[in-house]
Amino acid sequence: MTLRVSRRNFVAGGAALLSLSALGTSALAQETRLRLLWWGSQPRADRTNKVSQLYQTKNPGTSITGEFLGWGDYWPRLATQVAGRNAPDVIQMDYRYIVQYARRGALAPLESYMPAKLNLDDFDKAQIEGGSVDGHLYGVSLGANSAATVLNTTAFKEAGVDLPTQATTWEEFARMGAEITKSGKRKGMFGIADGSGAEPLFENWLRQRGKALYTADGKIGFGVEDASEWYDMWAKFREAGACVPADIQALDKNDIETNTVSLGKSAAGFAHSNQFVAYQAMNKDKLALTNYMRIKPDSKGGHYRKPSMFFSVSAQSKAVDKAVDYVNFFVKNPEAALLLDVERGIPESAAMREVVATKLDENGKVALAYVSGLGDLAGKLPPPPPAGAGEADLMLRNIAEQVGFGQLSPSDGGKQLVTEITQILARG
Amino acid sequence: MSNAMRTPAGAISVERYQGAVAEGRFRRLWNANAPGYLFLLPWLVGFFGLTLGPALISLYLSFTDYDMLQSPRWVGMANYVRIATADPKFSAAMDVTLTYVVFSVPFKLTFALLVAMALNRGLRGLTVYRAIFYLPSLLGGSVAIAVLWRQLFASDGLVNAALSQFGIEGPSWISHPNYSIYTLVALSVWQFGSPMIIFLAGLRQIPQDMYEAASLDGASKFRQFYKITLPLLTPVIFFNAVVQTIEAFKAFTPAFIISGGTGGPINSTLFYTLYLYQEAFGNFRMGYASALAWILVVIIAIFTAFSFLTSRYWVHYDD
Repeated sequence: MTLRVSRRNFVAGGAALLSLSALGTSALAQETRLRLLWWGSQPRADRTNKVSQLYQTKNPGTSITGEFLGWGDYWPRLATQVAGRNAPDVIQMDYRYIVQYARRGALAPLESYMPAKLNLDDFDKAQIEGGSVDGHLYGVSLGANSAATVLNTTAFKEAGVDLPTQATTWEEFARMGAEITKSGKRKGMFGIADGSGAEPLFENWLRQRGKALYTADGKIGFGVEDASEWYDMWAKFREAGACVPADIQALDKNDIETNTVSLGKSAAGFAHSNQFVAYQAMNKDKLALTNYMRIKPDSKGGHYRKPSMFFSVSAQSKAVDKAVDYVNFFVKNPEAALLLDVERGIPESAAMREVVATKLDENGKVALAYVSGLGDLAGKLPPPPPAGAGEADLMLRNIAEQVGFGQLSPSDGGKQLVTEITQILARG
Repeated sequence: MSNAMRTPAGAISVERYQGAVAEGRFRRLWNANAPGYLFLLPWLVGFFGLTLGPALISLYLSFTDYDMLQSPRWVGMANYVRIATADPKFSAAMDVTLTYVVFSVPFKLTFALLVAMALNRGLRGLTVYRAIFYLPSLLGGSVAIAVLWRQLFASDGLVNAALSQFGIEGPSWISHPNYSIYTLVALSVWQFGSPMIIFLAGLRQIPQDMYEAASLDGASKFRQFYKITLPLLTPVIFFNAVVQTIEAFKAFTPAFIISGGTGGPINSTLFYTLYLYQEAFGNFRMGYASALAWILVVIIAIFTAFSFLTSRYWVHYDD
């Protein structure tokens, strides 16, 4: 076999080599390197990388390398990198962990860069506050979203059941669920997912009752009676066949792929609005978003607009200035906004929201319409969860399963949940 | 010894002379063995840098409160005290892990031995079968297989589809707390390849004339197995049992994938290593997780020591 190189290939190869060597020298000369780390799927990575490329072309002399992982692998990686003094410059941060990272000195405070280098003037004030810990800004919100009910409208139609409205109560919703299950239009499909172990759902229900998961000073915000009633409500749903049985719900690993709606096991399930695009991509049927049900038709909505994720800058970064500039570009540049769309939630900047709104596709519009249409269903953002919240989340699910599989009565489950969470929070 | 015979000349003191000899000897030893050490270097670096070093650090961390973001804080025995007295999840995880060890190891070894004996019959294309049966062991630890397992044992999975042929309506095996651990046991038994290969080698060592003599004396196949194969195979069985027990204690990936890292439903797949992982990386308690790791080391050591102590009563080495 002989190797032939056409003249064109030779020239192209030579040009590539030249540019490679040029890259090498400039890197040695004065290039600023930025490292990014985020969690998410491939589509998110594509969008993010495109923004990085755009930034590089507008800011010669900066090279950006991005890395991404799934949610479960992300936190171990980030924690080890921070512990090893090797943290990336720009870190995607979650509301759940921002207090832990900020208080332990892993993140750089950003308020001194405002407004000259970091211009958040047209941001929702509440969302800026969401990224603040102890009076310092540690995270710039990349978008807002809200917890939501996902509906498989095709399955509802087949069963001859009307879709729930903004005023539907849990009681009515359970009746609808039971009807769908009974209709038996699809083999193995139940009305609704079992939400008894889902934290956002429980939190929403507590907020409707004027309670909260956690108080502002990091204590438990609800009592035994609340928790017992919660487990009891779902036990009744299970009994009536309104929601999936416990062994089906246990298949749900808390991600889009294994949600009972995606698995075709239920016609309604519980998710977050910024996940809608991915949910629709996984499902052949037509999906829709609506709010969580109400305890009574006139009770508060219990929702809130949550910063879906933040960009934080590492306190260990050698180029904090550049990192801040990149973050500012990410949230305030119209071209970047178009690339990012609403994949990380609805943009916080009013100007970027307008830019994006004109170009949204149908699924993006559903998410945008849902979040902006919440109206008075949405209340104040709760304080960031205390350390131990992740463990408490697992405990809510664990006890929900014990009740679901009949190993524990709802009232004992409520008692146990409060005892366990109190202990977890005391341990910190 | 020879030093004493020689008289050191002139000004050179005895110590210096002996020192020079020792130095020379060291140099000669070094010259002779340097290539050896050079070849060992990757292993030495790996052993000290990646095994012994981290192990010692984790021993230190097990006496501290360490969240990976701030420096570790010395807390003495507090972690160990909590494990022993105030951690219900520790006992839950221990329970799951012991169940797994007790069921998976004997079943796996029995299965491996049966397949090895079948393959030992001078089958045509033996190497192909060996490779095929070994394959699951290579794949077994992988994420893809754990995902496949999830599909097989789901409520509408293949297993239940097969059962429904016989009119049996199976539960959702992997997501029911009463059964989920046994699907993981089944997964482990399916990965019988590596003990099987070792059994096969052991079977090959047994002299054929023993069987010939036994069948001339009219011993049945079962009796031959019981009186010849099994006793002569005990060293191999012992080796396999120890290795597989240690492996079973360390099992992680399948439970991690199948339960999505939660150890659910209701802690039914909360393997010890999974709990350790949750504490270290989920709850930022690296110190506590280190203590858990050292407890596991001690437990495995006890099990292994016990196996070695009892081995003299049932393992026969022909000498």
